[in-house]
Amino acid sequence: MTPFFTLYRLFLRNQLTTGRLVLIGALSAIAIILGFATGASDPFDPVETATGVVWFFGIGLMVPIISLVLSSSAFGDLQADETLVYLWHRKTPRWQLAAAAWLAPATIAVPATALGLVICALLITGFSAKVFFGTLLAVVVAAIVYSAAFTLLGLLFRRALIIGLMYLFIWEQFMARAGGGAATLSINTYPSSVLAQITDVELFLADRSIAVGLIVPIVLSILALVATSRRLNRMDVA
Amino acid sequence: MSLPPPPAPAAWPPPDATIVAYDVSRSFGSLVAVSSVSVAVQPGVSALLGPNGAGKSTLLRMLSGQIKPSSGSVWVAGGDPRTDAEARDRIGLVPQQDGVFEREKALDVVRLAAILSQLDNVEERARWALGLVELDPDLDRPVGAFSKGMRQRVKIAQALVHDPVVLMMDEPLNGLDPRQRKQMISLFHELGNRGKSVLVSSHVLEEVERLGSHVIVIAKGRLAAQGDFRAIRSLMDNQPLRFRVVCTNARRVAASLVERSAVIGCSVASDTEIEITTDDAKVFRRAIAAVCRNVGARLEEVAPLDEDLESVFRYLVGAGG
Repeated sequence: MTPFFTLYRLFLRNQLTTGRLVLIGALSAIAIILGFATGASDPFDPVETATGVVWFFGIGLMVPIISLVLSSSAFGDLQADETLVYLWHRKTPRWQLAAAAWLAPATIAVPATALGLVICALLITGFSAKVFFGTLLAVVVAAIVYSAAFTLLGLLFRRALIIGLMYLFIWEQFMARAGGGAATLSINTYPSSVLAQITDVELFLADRSIAVGLIVPIVLSILALVATSRRLNRMDVA
Repeated sequence: MSLPPPPAPAAWPPPDATIVAYDVSRSFGSLVAVSSVSVAVQPGVSALLGPNGAGKSTLLRMLSGQIKPSSGSVWVAGGDPRTDAEARDRIGLVPQQDGVFEREKALDVVRLAAILSQLDNVEERARWALGLVELDPDLDRPVGAFSKGMRQRVKIAQALVHDPVVLMMDEPLNGLDPRQRKQMISLFHELGNRGKSVLVSSHVLEEVERLGSHVIVIAKGRLAAQGDFRAIRSLMDNQPLRFRVVCTNARRVAASLVERSAVIGCSVASDTEIEITTDDAKVFRRAIAAVCRNVGARLEEVAPLDEDLESVFRYLVGAGG
């Protein structure tokens, strides 16, 4: 077994706690109930309604919260129980440690969020290819970029969960919605743009092209990974 | 009172030193945990000694590369362990903290270490390392269900699995029962005899005394002494020394002894035991036999009370303060 896969498996196992599984299950259940209730209310424009629900609840809340809870704990748990040193002190390259810590929570966050939100959307629209693919792609992009960002956050701060929630609720939900340059600095803008472009529904501050909506999150994820590796190189480990 | 002189640049570090720290300091905010410490460790077993809070763990973490010195430099087994992954991999590290992947089994923890060190025969090496610390590799319980002593042995096994040149262990004997301690100390000596540099920190003096004669004493963040503890002890020759004298007719012997110029203190512990404080051990040793003969007492034992490490430590910590 390669060092990378071993690390990935270790992070994956550490992620799977009862509390986290309950949170994922609860948010997925809420998404499905929301889809069922909205679909049952016979909306005037199901595609626009489904896109709005996925945008507001899915990309605005569910994906970032699940990603935050999972990813911030990847390094956070190891620092809390002081076992990071056992991985850090070996000769395995730092980037592999960083990549495994990012990939493991992303592996859980992507299906965990995509399943609930795709069902939610389809309960509103019936089968709609653009809603299905728009939701799927936007959720995957969001889960990947949030996971990378929050993995870094978990390495940088002991209270990453609180700082992450502050970022989500103060910056993304409040400051960034003031528009202009602030929205550019909000992760949410990019997967939202992907969703808006594919479903052809206008969403607030989601006016980037699909290429920008895909490329910027990829670049941000790579930058977060590089920053995580560099931080691992320079940090003190207890 | 003189402490060992600072190392002379030409003679320091010794050519076979595997761990060298030069003038390292480390502060945490306004707290100076380690201040201008220079140490060199050669193959064999060395003990890093100091009371709790003296800076031992901070120094050990700097030596292992876990933390960066605020100033000074560290060289271990061919490189700086903070920046050189190969040098870091030549170190086997037993950190102080208890946590060791509580949900994993012992074999999995050691296997993980072997995989991350990119060994070929992972399974074989993991079982070998657990065998060295007398732990059953097939134990089905997770490490979280282990006793402290068993967890400690898992930590030591993961440090040994890649057969490192240098072993750095922070209080590795904590939680072990006397038999396990004896077995571990003998393992450390065996590794030392095979040319490994084994650096063990401890605040338990009798442990250190059994670990090895080479000690590095840290007190209040500073290097109080380094070298053979008996040699360090000899620095104390100008200090009052204590002896226990076991003889018959102890009171008469004591009364006669206090008249001697070399004896500056004397207390009778029982009818057969006296505790003497002297400022000239040689004169006292010569005098005691004559005194006993003169008062018709039978001398059974004269034992120094200050030759143990505790005395060295107490003396040096006092001197460092």
